[in-house]
Amino acid sequence: MSRRHELRTLLRGALRPPENDSAFLLDVHRRAVPQERMARYDDSFSVDLLIVGAGAGGGTLAQRLARRGWKVVVLESGPFWDPDEDWVSDEAGSHRLYWTEPRVIGGTDPVELGKNNSGHGVGGSMVHYAGYCPRFHPSDFEVRTRDGVGEDWPISYYDLRPHYERLELELPVSGEYWPWGDPHRYPHTPHPIAGGADAARAGARQLGIEMRVGPVGITNGAFGNRPHCIYRGYCLQGCKVNAKASPLVTHIPDAIEHGAEIRADCMVTRVEIDESSGRVTGVRYIHDGTERFQRADAVAVAGYSIETPRLLLNSTSRRFPHGLANDNDQVGRCVMVQGAPQVSGRFPDEMRMYKAPPPEICSEQFYETDERRGFARGFAIQTVGPLPIEHAQHVLGHGHWGAALREYMRDYNHWYTLGILSELLPLPENRVTVAADFTDQNGVPVARMDYSQCENDRKNIAYAKQTLHNIFAAAGAQDVLVTERYAHLVGGCRMGSDPERSVVDADHRAWSVPNLFIADGSVMPTQGSANPALTIMALASRLAERLALKRTGGASATRRPRRLRRGPRPAPSPVDAG
Amino acid sequence: MPPRDFRSAEHLPNLRPDQQPASPDELPRQRNGVTPQMHGRYPDYNVLDEADHWDEVTRRTVFERVESTPSLRFFTREEAATLGIFCDLVMAQDREPKIPVLNMVDAKLFAGQLDGFRYAEMPDDRETWRRLAIGLDAAARQHGAGDFAGASGDVQMRVVDALAKGELHGEVWDEMPPSITWKVVSRAILSAFYSHPWAWNEIGFGGPAYPRGFARLGVGQRESWEGAPAFERDPVKDTEQRGDEGPARP
Repeated sequence: MSRRHELRTLLRGALRPPENDSAFLLDVHRRAVPQERMARYDDSFSVDLLIVGAGAGGGTLAQRLARRGWKVVVLESGPFWDPDEDWVSDEAGSHRLYWTEPRVIGGTDPVELGKNNSGHGVGGSMVHYAGYCPRFHPSDFEVRTRDGVGEDWPISYYDLRPHYERLELELPVSGEYWPWGDPHRYPHTPHPIAGGADAARAGARQLGIEMRVGPVGITNGAFGNRPHCIYRGYCLQGCKVNAKASPLVTHIPDAIEHGAEIRADCMVTRVEIDESSGRVTGVRYIHDGTERFQRADAVAVAGYSIETPRLLLNSTSRRFPHGLANDNDQVGRCVMVQGAPQVSGRFPDEMRMYKAPPPEICSEQFYETDERRGFARGFAIQTVGPLPIEHAQHVLGHGHWGAALREYMRDYNHWYTLGILSELLPLPENRVTVAADFTDQNGVPVARMDYSQCENDRKNIAYAKQTLHNIFAAAGAQDVLVTERYAHLVGGCRMGSDPERSVVDADHRAWSVPNLFIADGSVMPTQGSANPALTIMALASRLAERLALKRTGGASATRRPRRLRRGPRPAPSPVDAG
Repeated sequence: MPPRDFRSAEHLPNLRPDQQPASPDELPRQRNGVTPQMHGRYPDYNVLDEADHWDEVTRRTVFERVESTPSLRFFTREEAATLGIFCDLVMAQDREPKIPVLNMVDAKLFAGQLDGFRYAEMPDDRETWRRLAIGLDAAARQHGAGDFAGASGDVQMRVVDALAKGELHGEVWDEMPPSITWKVVSRAILSAFYSHPWAWNEIGFGGPAYPRGFARLGVGQRESWEGAPAFERDPVKDTEQRGDEGPARP
């Protein structure tokens, strides 16, 4: 055990994140992010960097570069959430958190979008993610070399590791010591787990499957002005407590403090280029029904795996007749989801799975390829904790309706649910296109996502489901219900080392447009069996570091970031103002 | 009838020979608050009693569902007659009190509140519902009935069962895959039904939990205010303790 690890264990829960005061900039008495002193830029002012989308990628990138003195504007299609007023402790009432504008889904295994995987508003889909924050494994970055499937990344795990460590302090992530992938510790101690997770863990242990508590982006103990989790179980409906991490509370406050403007309710419809130089000049967006144009020296698109390709494909010009940065027909290709079947088990005692955060325990024991299983790559096992509507869909997915459905639902309190994240492979035919004949309320063609599984995918999902069955059998479950679903979205504008097979280079720069960057999950060439949020943030954090180095002419000239302040800057007093 | 023991799972459809549950009328009647059809697995638990512990925005959202039944504005009267029966069959609501599922679906469709995706083979969700009404009638006619609403209970059940299994053919169903139709409409029905606090009473769900949260997370534990299932207590002692029944003893 290295000295550094010992020190981190000793200081667990006591370390403040370096260069990010977000948790201290929040108000103690309300949950909304203070915006009173946010900078405002004029449309005609060419900002240093314009970011499209204020989610995991965009929020992190804005905070990092604002800290380094860049003039940053983030255009977000959705609202600037006030958790006190806008969010409810209720499943159906949380509909507005999702991307509900029309999209079309096709292929042999279509992926349902909306609440399952698509966010809207400042904070992006991390506002309603469960909270799992696992790292990718080192193997994820070289699956082609190791396993002969998928694609190698142009960067390695070790390029991201310092960013993983920094973000785990910023969110902060709590969990037990993590033995899988690159073994590591977490800055916050694990949360208590509910009875159902305990039973599932005991069942798994009997089969020699190890499950560990975490890793969850929920503060364990107060963190700055973010209070302790109250275990109310509504993580997927937006955390009204501010205990669960999302860019809204982990990065946006600090970005605003350092001069970034987060301009909400602005739907970007086109990225404009100068036809002669081929450089991006800014973006067109719609705010309050009026079209506007924001000038920018550079643009980073962070709209996630569907809206990012859609925006590029809709940004046609003489230079790019098939969509911006789409010379090689790569934009929108290799979009991925994880196979996420769920299995519920019935127990004699009440489990009341609506209590405690849905993310409790996790196993990555099956993450890597094991040839004996008969397919490449693997899967992760996680707890899910569905609320009534979600569980009813699970029961119906198993095939029960009418009186049988009602009977199963009356039995809700006796059930506990485990889910799978199967690594499905990137396939070029799985792609986002734009539907020429179907437009949204602004007259912009909507996205169409086609998805079909390959043989390896089906084997992976089937094996994973059987594993969950075995766990529940070992745990003493009296009955099980199974349903099929997908989780997460990544890929669609992948990074690579060959312009023929990718959209951006290792620095997220579009191969054919020098001042256009992509800063979200769509750059991922593969997805592992890990929830993508932390990796999307880590990629954005690394991109910020790369951009800052270039702009200031190399490491020697890097401007020293502003000193960490203790607490928020006091509002100017009348005397100062006078 | 001996009291059911919910520690065993014998009441669950998967474990019964015909895959169907026993009649829910064997359960006690709900004594506190309302459940759909008053089935009382948690007979003394009314989630609405806890409303003082909820935040104001959530309270408004939940109470709106109980206090106002939206009038039908999207469906025509004929469509509503067919689809109302359909929704009641899917949720096994055979008598009052009923959760007004179709009205809740109607309100969402009227407001254009859709879910953010549409299957390529399918029309808009709004159009899907309208065609479902036509399709149910067509399927009922294949069984010799005039239309779905006028068909016998048995025919109606067979039509819904065929839709759930994706086995409807002819007319509408040759253009609109029944299996995907079932996914689309059942999603809306379940979202309406299980968003209603009466359904939460029936299943013993704790309901909104901000700012109070939960403290008792372990196996078999419940908060002081969460409901106990029906047969966990001795019915004789329970009646005595509640002091609400029986003649005074000499």
